[in-house]
Amino acid sequence: MANQMGNAYALTLLCPIRHGVPQQCPEGLGGQTSAACVRYLLQDVMRVSLDSPMAKVPNTYLSRFYILEDVPYQGKPAKLEHLGSNYLVFCADFHGDLDTWLTGMWNAIQPEICGLLQYCFGFESVHDCASFITWIKKCQVETTFFFDGSTDEPLAVQLKNLYLKQEFSKFVYANQGNGPETIQANFREFVALTQPDNIDAPTWKPGAYGLDKVVSGLKTQGAG
Amino acid sequence: MSNIAGKAYAMNVVTPLRWYTAWFNKLMFWVSGHFNFVTKGLQTLSLIHYARWVVIDGSQFPRLSDKQPPEELKYTYMLFFSNFNGSWDQYVDSFSSAIPTGLNIFWAFNIKYPCSVPMLPFHRYITANQIWTDHYYNAYPMAASNDVKAAQRVRNGLLGFIADTKDSSAQDFQLKYNQLLMTLQHDVSQMGPNPIVSLSAWAVEDRLRKERPAAGA
Repeated sequence: MANQMGNAYALTLLCPIRHGVPQQCPEGLGGQTSAACVRYLLQDVMRVSLDSPMAKVPNTYLSRFYILEDVPYQGKPAKLEHLGSNYLVFCADFHGDLDTWLTGMWNAIQPEICGLLQYCFGFESVHDCASFITWIKKCQVETTFFFDGSTDEPLAVQLKNLYLKQEFSKFVYANQGNGPETIQANFREFVALTQPDNIDAPTWKPGAYGLDKVVSGLKTQGAG
Repeated sequence: MSNIAGKAYAMNVVTPLRWYTAWFNKLMFWVSGHFNFVTKGLQTLSLIHYARWVVIDGSQFPRLSDKQPPEELKYTYMLFFSNFNGSWDQYVDSFSSAIPTGLNIFWAFNIKYPCSVPMLPFHRYITANQIWTDHYYNAYPMAASNDVKAAQRVRNGLLGFIADTKDSSAQDFQLKYNQLLMTLQHDVSQMGPNPIVSLSAWAVEDRLRKERPAAGA
């Protein structure tokens, strides 16, 4: 199945957006179309990775949303044609199987994702996790070809690896020119602090910008 | 609207092709998925996190309600999504330079596809058919794809080294430490923000700065 390569899954959704003006709009958007409400929520409420709700969805490497308003026209002699509806295009690259990931999404960001998808056709049938998964699968389109250029590890392992890479690089730089006894003693402190075999902590936070914000679970400062 | 999340850029391209040539594209993708020699070129582009192609015709657009009009499209459409590091120009030029033939195979028979070389018509084609991302999330904005791969080697190397030097003398430790650094010399480097990350992060910080006084009032 082209949706998967190794343990990485490529989810592609085309969620049809309702036509016209919705009954409930975000504050200040009264009279705007459903598509405008969706775009507002994506751009002004969900923002970028710094505080994206997607950071709370387990095992999500990357994801994106955009609105497909129409199909591109290539100029004469190509035919001009139009879509009958706007589509919210959602893509996610994540580790594991689809049902587990969607359940994690529902549990982590149900208010945010329902707030967004309420403007789509048929979403009124969603009232729990099972109906959410059913609705999502109706919007799914099969990936024709998926290329995974990454490491095929769970996100927690990748984040731990990145944390260690950063800290070990600092360690190597700080210990240049030191004698064997000093390096060995410092390395023991480094291992005690960074806990390379502990995936959960200390590690990098998903979605965090800036070296001052990225580390989580560090109990003591100092070595390295 | 942001195509950038840290060091990753989200590219979306939608292009039409005739229904009777779409099968060729699907066949090429099937071959690429089953035989490594086709994707070997893609693997040399180590700046890519993930990429995907979706080929659909009008009848495959999801229809969730009777109130939703069915799509009546004559063309089949190819949707391309990529997550890569660096600038738009660097990426498009890398594709064009590194795997021009592979690119031409993947986009074969797409309407008015100009071929990957020369670059300027190819740039125009991508620009004309690119759609901007409304929300982009990246789990590791500070890291490039090569950092993710290097980090795996660093941790694996460290775990082996820790086990191997548990009872070592200081001199033996030094010897193995030097060997470790030789092995990992291409992978040990500190990650930091680059100018693109800074611009993107600056926009976020700026918005939060503006909101803070309002929230405190």
